[in-house]
Amino acid sequence: MASRWADTEADAAEALRKKKEKEEKKRLKLRKQQAEEAAAQAALEAEARPSKRRRLSSGDDEAAEAAPSKEKEAERNLLRFEAGGWAPCRHTSNFETLNHIEEGSYGWVSRARELSTGEVVALKKVKMDLKQDGFPTTALREIALLQRARHPNIVSLHEVLSGSSPDEVVLVMEFVEHDLKTLQEDMPEPFLASEVKTLLKQLVGAVSFLHSNAILHRDLKTSNILLSNRGHLKIADFGMARYIPPPNAPLTQLVVTLWYRAPELLLGAEDYGAEIDMWSFGCIFGELLSKSPILQGKNEVDELSLIFALCGLPSEKSWPGFYRLPNARSLKIPRDTGARAAGQIRAKFPFLTNAGAELLSSLLSLNPEHRPTAEEVVNHSYFKEAPKPKPMEMFPTFPSKAGQEKRRRRASPNAPKRGDGHGVQNVDFSSIFASRDDEETGGGFQLKMV
Amino acid sequence: MQPSPLANPLATVAQLEESGSRLDGIPADLENSIRFAGARLTQAAGILLRLPQEVIAQAIVVFMRFWVGPEGGSLAEFGARQVSAASMYLTTKLSAYPKSPRSIVNVYTYLDSLPSTYTEPESLQDTSKADAYYVSEGTYQARRMELFETEQRVLKTLGFQVQVVLPYTLCITYLQALDAFSHPRATELAKRAFAHLNTALLSPQLLYLTHQPPSLATAAIYLAAKEVGIKLPAVEWWEVFDTDREELGFLVVGMLSVENFVEEERARWQKNKVPMTVEELEAAMQTSSNGTE
Ligand SMILES: Nc1ncnc2c1ncn2[C@@H]1O[C@H](COP(=O)(O)OP(=O)(O)OP(=O)(O)O)[C@@H](O)[C@H]1O
Ligand SMILES: [Mg+2]
Repeated sequence: MASRWADTEADAAEALRKKKEKEEKKRLKLRKQQAEEAAAQAALEAEARPSKRRRLSSGDDEAAEAAPSKEKEAERNLLRFEAGGWAPCRHTSNFETLNHIEEGSYGWVSRARELSTGEVVALKKVKMDLKQDGFPTTALREIALLQRARHPNIVSLHEVLSGSSPDEVVLVMEFVEHDLKTLQEDMPEPFLASEVKTLLKQLVGAVSFLHSNAILHRDLKTSNILLSNRGHLKIADFGMARYIPPPNAPLTQLVVTLWYRAPELLLGAEDYGAEIDMWSFGCIFGELLSKSPILQGKNEVDELSLIFALCGLPSEKSWPGFYRLPNARSLKIPRDTGARAAGQIRAKFPFLTNAGAELLSSLLSLNPEHRPTAEEVVNHSYFKEAPKPKPMEMFPTFPSKAGQEKRRRRASPNAPKRGDGHGVQNVDFSSIFASRDDEETGGGFQLKMV
Repeated sequence: MQPSPLANPLATVAQLEESGSRLDGIPADLENSIRFAGARLTQAAGILLRLPQEVIAQAIVVFMRFWVGPEGGSLAEFGARQVSAASMYLTTKLSAYPKSPRSIVNVYTYLDSLPSTYTEPESLQDTSKADAYYVSEGTYQARRMELFETEQRVLKTLGFQVQVVLPYTLCITYLQALDAFSHPRATELAKRAFAHLNTALLSPQLLYLTHQPPSLATAAIYLAAKEVGIKLPAVEWWEVFDTDREELGFLVVGMLSVENFVEEERARWQKNKVPMTVEELEAAMQTSSNGTE
C-alpha cells in the first residue's frame, strides 16, 4: 500500500535525506573506528602508568600506587553481577547541537551528535533555579526514574552531562524522530485502527511495567510519547513521575496536563494512584482515534463539564466516594440523572468495535476503581480481535520534524507547575478549587449541568 | 548493557585501588577513619531527622560512593560533614520524606557541637529538638549555599548515579523462602540479620559498593543464623540467592571485621574529634607531621 502520509514530493525529499544520511553514517563509522582505536591505545598506555586525577591536584602524584594487576581484576570480575558503575559527568563539549526540537516548560530539547562516535542523540537541558532548593527535585526524580525504568518502550537515558557553568546539566537520551502530538497534527488523516492498536499495545506495555515497579508517570499525553520511524513507541518526559509513596503520604494534585487529568484529581483527591495514568491512557486512546485531544477543557471546571458530558454524570451508585472528595461538595450536580448518566462514548466513536468501545469506556470510568489496570488492558480482547495490530515494520514512515528545523511552540496546555507566574493570572475559583496555583483561564463560574 | 533494576552500580577495581584523597597525599588510614566517622555521622543525622533506615542507608551509600576512585572527591577539597549533609539532602529529595535545607543545617550543626566523635549513642536519643537547633542567620546562609554547591558536586562526581537498591526487603523474602519464620526465634534471627546489614554500611571494605543486594542479604542471614543457633538447610542454599561460596565467605568475614574496626577507631580517637572539615583535616595533618619529625 502506498504511503498515505506524504505526497511524492515529500517522498523524494525523504529519499534524498536518507541517502545523505547513509553517506554520513559511513563517514562517521570510519571516524568511530578511528576513535575507538585511539581510545584503546590510550587505555593501554594508561594502564602502564599510575592513574592521574583529572582535576588539578595540589599534591604530588608520585605517591600513587602501581596499576592494578591483571590477575586481581580477573578474579574480582568473577564476583560481579551485570550492572554498571559510575563516573563523573562528561562535559557538554563532547556533543555538537544539530537543531533544537522543542522548548518545554522545564527545559529545552535538541538533537545533537556525539563527536567521538557520531551517534545522534537528544539532549534535554535541565532548567535550574539553584537558589531555592538546590538541584531541582523534579529533574533529580526524572533522572533517577529513567535510570531505573529500562524498558523497550521507555526512552533510554544514556548519561548526564555537565557544562562549563555550574547550573548547566543536560540529559543525553536516545533520539526518537517523532512525538505523537506533533505527528498527528501533520497527518492528513487519523491512524488506521490496526495502527492505533500497535501504538496502544506498546504504550500499555510500558505503563504496566512502570506500575508494576511502583512508578506513576503522572503526565501521560501525546506530546510525551515518542514514535520512531520504525513504528517503535517510547514514553518520555518523567518530569512529573514518582514512586508510589507509602500509604497516607499526601500527594500533590498539581499533576497531569489538564486535558489528560483524571476526575478524581480535578476534584481534589489526595490519595490517588495508578488509575490516574489509566485515565490519561484512555484520553490518548480517544485522541489516536480522532486525531485530536478529546477533552480540551479551558480550565478545570470546564474540563470537568466536558468529562461529565462525555462519560456521564457521577452518582452515589456509580461512584460512592464522589461526594466525599474535597471539591465535589461545591459542585451542583443534578441527582435525577436518568439518561444523561450514561455518557456518549459509544456514539462519539462509531467506528470502534464493541470490544474497543468497552475498553475505552472502562478506561474513562469516572470512578477510578472501575478503570482496568494496565495489566488488564494488556490482556484485553480488543488487542486480539480483528483488525490485528499492524506489525511495526509495516508502519508508515513520516518526515521527522524533530530531525530537521525548529519546531513551533505548541498551543496546548503544559504540565502543571507550582508557582510559575507566567500566563493568565489567577481567576477566582476560590470557592471551588481553592488550592490551585495557576493555569486556570476561564471566568469564575460554577459547574451547572441542568 | 541493560542494568537490572535490582542491581546497584558497583565500584570498579580501578576505583577501589585509588582515591582522590590519597592522590592528594592523605594517608589511607586517616581516610578510612574519616570515611567511617562520616558514615556514622550520616546515620546519626538520619536518626535526628526521624528518617526511616532505608533512606539513611541510601544516604550512606551515596556518601561512600563519592570518595572512591582517582576521579572521586578528595578530603583535601571537601569535608566529610558537608558531603554527608549533601548526600542526606539529595537522598531525602528522592524519598517520600524530603527535608528542608533548614532542618539539614540545624541537625548537622547540632552534631558538630558535640564534644567528641564517639559520643555514647544514648546521648543522641534525647535530642528531640536537634532539627530546631539554633543557628545564626549568617551561618545558616553560608551552610545552605555550601549544601547546594556540595550537592551539585556529589551529583556530578557520581554521574548522577545516586539510586541505591537496598538488601532489607530481599532479606525478608529470603528468610521466607528458607521457611525461617516458622522458627520460634525467627524475630531474633531477622533482627540480627538486619543489624549485620546496618553494620555493613559502615564497613571500611565498602561492602555496599562492591557487592549486590542479594549477596549482602544472604551473608547477613548466614551470619545471623549462626549466632542465633538456627539450622538452615544443609545444602548450599546461598546459591539459590545468586551467591557463591567464595563471595559468601568474603562477605561474612567483612561483616564480622567491622566490629573490630569500630573498636580500633574508638581507641584511636578516644575523646577527640575526627576531622570532618577541610580545615580540621589540614590542622590534624599539620600536628601529626610535627609530631613525627
Ligand atoms: N528523546 C527524544 N527524542 C526526540 N525528541 C524528543 C525526545 N525527548 C523529547 N523530545 C521532544 O521534546 C519535547 C519536550 O520534551 P519533554 O516532554 O521531555 O520536555 P518537557 O520540558 O518536560 O516538556 P513539557 O513541559 O512541554 O512537557 C517532546 O514533546 C518531544 O517532541
Ligand atoms: Mg513534555
